Amino acid sequence: MAGLELLSDQGYRLDGRKATELRKVQARMGVFAQADGSAYIEQGNTKALAVVYGPHEVRGSRSKTLHDRAVINCQYSMATFSTAERKRRPHGDRKSTEMSLHLKQTFEAAVLTNLYPRSQIDIYVKILQSDGGNYSACVNAATLAVIDAGIPMRDYVCACTAGFVDETPLADLCHAEESGGGTSLALALLPRGGHIALLQMDARLHQDHLETLMEAAMTACKGVSKVLDEVVRQHLQEVSALTGE
Amino acid sequence: MIKTEKVLHLKSSRGRKVRVVREHYLREHVPCHSSLCQAQCANEGKVLSGEVTHYVVPDAGVARDFMEILEFREIQGIVFTQTACQAVQHSRGRRQYNRLRSLLKDPRHDCILFANEFQEYSYCPREKGEPQDKWQTRCVYHAAVWYHDHLAGMKPVVMITEDQTAVAEYSSLNCGVYILSTQEYLQTFWPELQAAQELYCSIAQSLRERGSEGTEREYTEHLPAEVLEAGIKSGRYIQGTLNVNKHRAQHEAFVRFEGSSNKNSELNSDVLVCGGKNRNRAVHGDMVAVELLPKGEWRGRTTALTEGQGEEKGDETQSQPMFTGRVVGILQRNWRDYVVTFPPKEETQSQSRNSQRILATPWDQRIPKIRISTQQADKLQDHRVIVRLDSWDSTSLYPNGHSVRVLGRAGELETEVQTILIENSSPPPRGGGQRLELGVHIADVTHFVKEGSLTDLEARARATTYYLADRRYDMLPAVLSADLCSLLGGVDRYAVSVMWDLDAQTLAVNKVWYGRTLIRSSYQLYYELAQALLNGEEAEVPELAQLPPGERDAKLAQLTQALEILTHVARRLRGQRDRGGALELEGVEVRAQLDEDKNITALVPRQPLEVHETVAECMIYANHWVARKIQESFPQQALLRHHPPPRQEFFNQLQDSARARGFTIDTRSNKALADSLDRAVDPRDPLVNRLLRVMATMAMSNALYFSTGACPVDQYYHYGLALDRYTHFTSPIRRYADMIVHRLLTAAIAMEKGAGPAKVLASNKELEEVAQQINNKNRAAQHAQKAAQHAQKVSTELFQCLYFRDKDPETDERCVADAVIYTIRANGMLVFIPQYGLKGAVYLKNREGQVVSERQDGGCDWQTGSLQRYLDHISTTTAAGTSTFNLFQHITVRISVQPSRCHSNTLRLEVVSNRPHQAPETQAQPPQPQGARGRSQLVQEVVRQAEEASQQAEEKRCRAPKLSKEEREFRQSKSPNLYSLLEEVREMALLDLAACGGAGGGGDLGAAAQACATSA
Repeated sequence: MAGLELLSDQGYRLDGRKATELRKVQARMGVFAQADGSAYIEQGNTKALAVVYGPHEVRGSRSKTLHDRAVINCQYSMATFSTAERKRRPHGDRKSTEMSLHLKQTFEAAVLTNLYPRSQIDIYVKILQSDGGNYSACVNAATLAVIDAGIPMRDYVCACTAGFVDETPLADLCHAEESGGGTSLALALLPRGGHIALLQMDARLHQDHLETLMEAAMTACKGVSKVLDEVVRQHLQEVSALTGE
Repeated sequence: MIKTEKVLHLKSSRGRKVRVVREHYLREHVPCHSSLCQAQCANEGKVLSGEVTHYVVPDAGVARDFMEILEFREIQGIVFTQTACQAVQHSRGRRQYNRLRSLLKDPRHDCILFANEFQEYSYCPREKGEPQDKWQTRCVYHAAVWYHDHLAGMKPVVMITEDQTAVAEYSSLNCGVYILSTQEYLQTFWPELQAAQELYCSIAQSLRERGSEGTEREYTEHLPAEVLEAGIKSGRYIQGTLNVNKHRAQHEAFVRFEGSSNKNSELNSDVLVCGGKNRNRAVHGDMVAVELLPKGEWRGRTTALTEGQGEEKGDETQSQPMFTGRVVGILQRNWRDYVVTFPPKEETQSQSRNSQRILATPWDQRIPKIRISTQQADKLQDHRVIVRLDSWDSTSLYPNGHSVRVLGRAGELETEVQTILIENSSPPPRGGGQRLELGVHIADVTHFVKEGSLTDLEARARATTYYLADRRYDMLPAVLSADLCSLLGGVDRYAVSVMWDLDAQTLAVNKVWYGRTLIRSSYQLYYELAQALLNGEEAEVPELAQLPPGERDAKLAQLTQALEILTHVARRLRGQRDRGGALELEGVEVRAQLDEDKNITALVPRQPLEVHETVAECMIYANHWVARKIQESFPQQALLRHHPPPRQEFFNQLQDSARARGFTIDTRSNKALADSLDRAVDPRDPLVNRLLRVMATMAMSNALYFSTGACPVDQYYHYGLALDRYTHFTSPIRRYADMIVHRLLTAAIAMEKGAGPAKVLASNKELEEVAQQINNKNRAAQHAQKAAQHAQKVSTELFQCLYFRDKDPETDERCVADAVIYTIRANGMLVFIPQYGLKGAVYLKNREGQVVSERQDGGCDWQTGSLQRYLDHISTTTAAGTSTFNLFQHITVRISVQPSRCHSNTLRLEVVSNRPHQAPETQAQPPQPQGARGRSQLVQEVVRQAEEASQQAEEKRCRAPKLSKEEREFRQSKSPNLYSLLEEVREMALLDLAACGGAGGGGDLGAAAQACATSA
């Protein structure tokens, strides 16, 4: 639909948000008991599940072992029911492989891998429902899962997308906005230090606008980090209440 | 914010139905945009006034179908709901939606948008199984109730709807919120607004008619948009704009594809669409997708001239078969308002069973007849009416429309002028010493017209001043254009100036200064006077009349010297551009001389003076330097003007014609074209060169405004002027683009001084939008590849017809004139009549199949015979013998008017004799075009020689303009009398011509050649 108006003259987006507003973020940690760490996140209608195993001994080929730090192994997949039309291949296609690689890079930058030499950390992420910003939902879910597993990180890794419509940066794009043909930039941030763990953009953008777009994405990431922090604190409270402390 | 979800059912690209869930966020605070708001809403921008008696909320159906009524500026206090806006967007497409958007932005119009669907309490989710229109009505009603409560009941709110059940259902639920049907509403609240009520009836009628249509198919269905898009991407269909052949509107149309997006490189010419079935309901100007037909069905373009009426029998005269296709879908309608003529009563009854529907004929031949439902058929017969198209279903042979406004009876001058308007919707130097200071001072209009003010918005909507042969429609109020922003002599005026410090020898620019200045003109000269001074003739300068003789002579000498330096500089600037490849093109301009009763007494081709060229050159120079400045300061958002190189295939006619005379025209670059045009001079007949230039002008593409952010740097080039950057700066009084450029320049100067721009400048996108709007307005005025402004051109035609209407072609000698053949067609030729500046078709074969044959004495008459067309001549063979008409041959024609009821009158030309016309009064015509041509050729040569500083030729120019007292008065006067208006048309056309749509006119500066001769 070419006629979709992504940003109205009054400054409303398709779903009623303003340009800088995020979608509603809801998250839970420790959803599965058998894994070392797990988390579930909803960013608007994008729903993702992350599970962490490890650190444990390197499985499979020993040659992958690194003697000074841990290997991070990521696998991204999408449920067959996650899109409007049934997806044929839940994982292993090119897009998923690329996404796995991105996740791996992101978490290698954030997890203190040098604490666990010769070991491996597995992060499995599954998109249950896809509505734009899959990468950022995965990163956020995985962050919570890693924290749940008790693996030390430099900081939360928070990710968010930002788009550019009518010379205005839009934070946290939904699917309709992403597929509307505009620019979309994904950014993973370590908010406290302001370090960028990953920055990805496929579309064309004039370099004059890049600065503002990144700025918008970083602000959005900081917003996400607040929500995640809240979730972690609440989870801790619940857990400590259960253990009776 | 509260999150809810909305479930939509959309169609996927493969045509399957998909369930889509979208988030929908609600909030408590949505600005209400009313000045009565008690809840401190964050109201930004436009606010509804509190002074109206009530607020009106149209529901989705009303907003969709009756937008035109809501556009009446009298109806105030309109609250458009978001629901209604979206309904307009979805069902009426982008065009209509953009109209609604601009309506909402227009500060003169008291209406706002209320985002009801994002308001927590006014949003109502659609229930299962609820039809969409019911839901929309409910939404709008809830919004109206909310609005009423939000304002604490201070204003009654009226919701208007066409749905009678809704009126019954909701009207008693709430006090303070009234529900009315549109008709009731108009009758109750706006009984005095007769026009709105008539419009309502007309639209309602056409809506009713649409429902009760027959079911038989007249056309094939259009393909759905997704299929078209995919087809265009894969190259199966071709996307382009439909151009209907004016002369064969029923049969021939061409699709010109856009840009170079088409990968199919073998398609380098237009695609022919033959016949109504293949055209499949597309109207001239629509963006369509065409599918090529199999090669066997390809046809050629008909080369025969036709008179645009009736059916053609055997099309034996076709050119090479070309790409032929059929329209499979319409990507975007480009409908506008059309002027139609209602047929007289006797015809209406025969053409439709149902007397309420009438087929009206549009004024523009390219538009098909429009079916209009009206009850005023009797009243409207023979009237010209503005109509809008509503729809064109595949079951109907003609499109449906409704009438909007009655212009008047056909044939009356006022009606005709209105018709034309709607159909075309729409420097003074300082010299001396080793260095020269040249300054161009333009009235500072933007000082008086603040950005965003009402005057500014109105000017933006008008975009340009329209000049017609007997009147003009100003862009800015007269107090500005005639007084405050006119650099009158002897008074202080604000101006924006560009000053160059030039080297006297090389004309290299040492320094440029831009800035705001205060100007007091010492002399207010007009073109003829300046030319007279330059020629060293006796002329009286009004400013010097009071001085004692000795002082006067000294001043006069000073002034003359300044003018000479200016002329010299301009000539060399022109020379520089010529070497770069600037084109000198020709347009044909005629001036109608009118007497007191607006009767036309003569048609005289206009003659440019050298001063005109001098002023134009200075203007081009100023425009160029301003363009450089603003582009450097604002690389992303400067308004420039470029002139794309023309398509090579447009030059075919020119090349063919030139070849007939043994000239070759090289069109590879503008420089090559200019050079070869200069070489193509026939010493025996100066008209040949002039005609070739006219044909080159017709091949040009249009110059366009654009925003620098929207275009790569290599496309900034101005082909006609041979400049790398160009803009319009010199006529802010009559062009809105110049005002934008003035503002940009002011901002650039401010930025240079260290201050940031006072206000956020228009972004690239906004600027591009404005540029497009101005381009559209200009295209309306400046039609196709013609240098003259179209509205002016048409109005000139109108005046030409008026001139010949009262003359009896058989007896009046003025109706017989000399003509030159410039193109050969299958059954006739196109000729140019220098005496009246007319171009037209001459038929050598009439409807009975007779051809023109030449008698012994040179006269011609109709006889049975045959016609043979060659590349450079056409010959007729009859029993009496063979007569041949060569390209560029002079013949004698008789001019008569062919009356037409539905369209504009046309002139008809007939061959009288195969020899040049030698009537006694031809000699009596004082300034012969030959003479004029000779003079301007001379000018051209002088320009070149000036490079080597040889100027003796200058003295040879001896033309004595007889400046009568009235003439001088008229030329000076700013009051809208006919003479001065025509004069301005002339100037504008000249300058635009010099630039082929480029240079600005110093004309509205009151020809204020202000000469301040001081040595630097």
